[in-house]
Amino acid sequence: MIVAFAVAPVVLVTLLIGLRGVAAMRTTSDFLVASRRVSPLLNSAAVSGEYLSAASFLGVAGLVVKDGIGALWYPVGFTAGYIAMLTLVAAPMRRSGALTVPDFAEARLASPSLRRLAAVVVLVISGLYLVPQFRTAGLVLSVVGGTPYWVGVVVAGLAVSATLALGGMRAATYVQAFQFFFKLVLFIVPALWLVAEVGPEVRDDALRPAEFTEFTRDTEVVFRAGATLEVPPGAERRLPDGTTAALPEGEWQVPAGSTVVFPAGSPAPELRGETAPGAPGWERPLLDVGDEGYPLLGTWAVLIATMLGTMGLPHVIMRFHTSPDGRSARRTAALTVALLGVFYLFPGIYGVLGRVLVPHLYLSGATDSAVVALPAQVDTGAVGALFTGLLTAGAFAAFLATSLGLVLVVSGAISHDLVPGGLRQLRVAVVVAAAVVVLLALPAARFDAGTLVTWGFTVAASTFCPLLVLGIWWPRLTAPGAIAGVATGLAGSSGAFLATVLGVPADGWVAVLLVQPAPWSVPLAFAVMVAVSLFGRPPPWSTAAMLRLHLHEHRRSPFTDRATPVRDLGHSSWSARRSSAVRRITRRLVR
Amino acid sequence: MTGNRRVAVTSPQTRLAHARRRHRGRWRPATLDPVEAPVAIALYHRQRAQALAALGALVALVAGLPLLLAAVPGLGDVRLLGVPVSWLALVAPFPAMVLLGFWHLRRAERIEEDPDTPAPGRGRRSGASR
Repeated sequence: MIVAFAVAPVVLVTLLIGLRGVAAMRTTSDFLVASRRVSPLLNSAAVSGEYLSAASFLGVAGLVVKDGIGALWYPVGFTAGYIAMLTLVAAPMRRSGALTVPDFAEARLASPSLRRLAAVVVLVISGLYLVPQFRTAGLVLSVVGGTPYWVGVVVAGLAVSATLALGGMRAATYVQAFQFFFKLVLFIVPALWLVAEVGPEVRDDALRPAEFTEFTRDTEVVFRAGATLEVPPGAERRLPDGTTAALPEGEWQVPAGSTVVFPAGSPAPELRGETAPGAPGWERPLLDVGDEGYPLLGTWAVLIATMLGTMGLPHVIMRFHTSPDGRSARRTAALTVALLGVFYLFPGIYGVLGRVLVPHLYLSGATDSAVVALPAQVDTGAVGALFTGLLTAGAFAAFLATSLGLVLVVSGAISHDLVPGGLRQLRVAVVVAAAVVVLLALPAARFDAGTLVTWGFTVAASTFCPLLVLGIWWPRLTAPGAIAGVATGLAGSSGAFLATVLGVPADGWVAVLLVQPAPWSVPLAFAVMVAVSLFGRPPPWSTAAMLRLHLHEHRRSPFTDRATPVRDLGHSSWSARRSSAVRRITRRLVR
Repeated sequence: MTGNRRVAVTSPQTRLAHARRRHRGRWRPATLDPVEAPVAIALYHRQRAQALAALGALVALVAGLPLLLAAVPGLGDVRLLGVPVSWLALVAPFPAMVLLGFWHLRRAERIEEDPDTPAPGRGRRSGASR
């Protein structure tokens, strides 16, 4: 019921706004970058709406419950990325006149192979980012409404592909901008309600973390995936007939799909390999990646990955290309910092309340759903159900907005960069991409959303961040250098992830750097790019190509006094690349 | 909503051309008008200096705060309105970053409009973007 009431309006409004955005659309530019007519305020709302994914709406609070208050560094890194974007990338990037990142790479360095490599990187990043979105959509619907996992995944896939195939970027812009304010309200209002409603004891408990060792009330834990628990002496479970039975002390393998009810007063088991919420170290404001005892290194590693990764996320960069000029792109970035700053004041509230009220979620690895599980703990009546519904709607809006941008980027990479084609092919690519992601997300229920999204950030930080920064600010960059750097970054970061997945033994700071490779993979990619470029010789037009990115559009042409702004040479509608009748005739005359 | 609906008005030829597979033409090197080159160089240097200043401030804030929190663990015991100061320190970067962002934005736009730039036709205040 809750699901129907919460999710149906979001999906319907998304489709309606999407249809509203369907205007006459004729060219690739219309489809991919909304004809570049989006004002800074609308665009920054859309950027924020797109950026606040499931990882921000649910994931951060869940990580606070699981790992401690230090997880609040993630939002700091997410926001700091837009300052880096503002200072280094936004305006010059927009002035390149590209439609996608691979487009930019080719425009700056004239290398078709770099373009193809960049398109492949776009696909990798988008895949890492999209699968967790769809997966969390399925998971939240199943947690809240009891629907099978695949229902949420398929609903998300249908809504995204229908909106995009019809309306393209223009529809996505309106939908994302609307969803930003929607999410903001649906996140802040329940947070304030929760704080007011929980009562003074819980508020006080929330600020004085104590380890989760005992169930304070009868607690039902649903194990969707199997888990290995360490059962302390005296632990009990309640059987279906209402009697309690003692659990055997020691290791307990809980099979997947089982439901265990722990009675009030029973000591809480521990999840093998994890520390319980509120354990010593939970309150430390640093992020101890992998519990290896290097909190400062872990915090910096996460900050580097999220900050520099934001700069290279293809769907965010594509949003900046919808600005009419470099200056509006810059304003968009500055406004985005402010909008995100407001939103990110609140995940911490859900996190500290979740540690008090729903710490048992960590046993089944479901801390992701802490946000939507909270209202029912505070109020079991209609009001609690209402707020659960509101938060579910917000979470669903978060998946939709992010997935819209990502599927658009995937279809752009396939259909604009890898196999260039017209508008119809772009639309087909959208539907195909959404279908593939749905198929990938169906078996991915057990993956941790936060981990996959952070990998996406790390790959972006080690590939596109060096490419964009050096491409914009260093005239000596050559195409072989860029290719070598991007390939090194991609190989380095994904190699570290493979090592993590395969369980390569490592401990201490080596383990931190394997789980979060950004501190070495980003400098390595920069170094390889610079070194290989220094061995080669940049083409003669290289400096001009770089300087043009810094020349703002609204300058007066030296040749004319007319009030018309100079033709924006970088704009794709001025077809420097296609033959025109005029140029053909000129060539004939000159020859 | 139906009143101002936009309709595609294209000739059949254009429609056909748009529907067809498109071949990108030969890549052409980017051009920079020699007259504008000095402006571009000046802009590049000044924007680079400004970007480095803003980025330095950002790194000092974002990397320095964890260092401070690691160096002074006692901040966790100091409480402001009941909330540990070390927790509040995780929220403090947001207003600081907003201020930094708008400061940089203003400086960067000033640089583009700056009269000192040796521009042949410099910084016309753009009506389009404000």
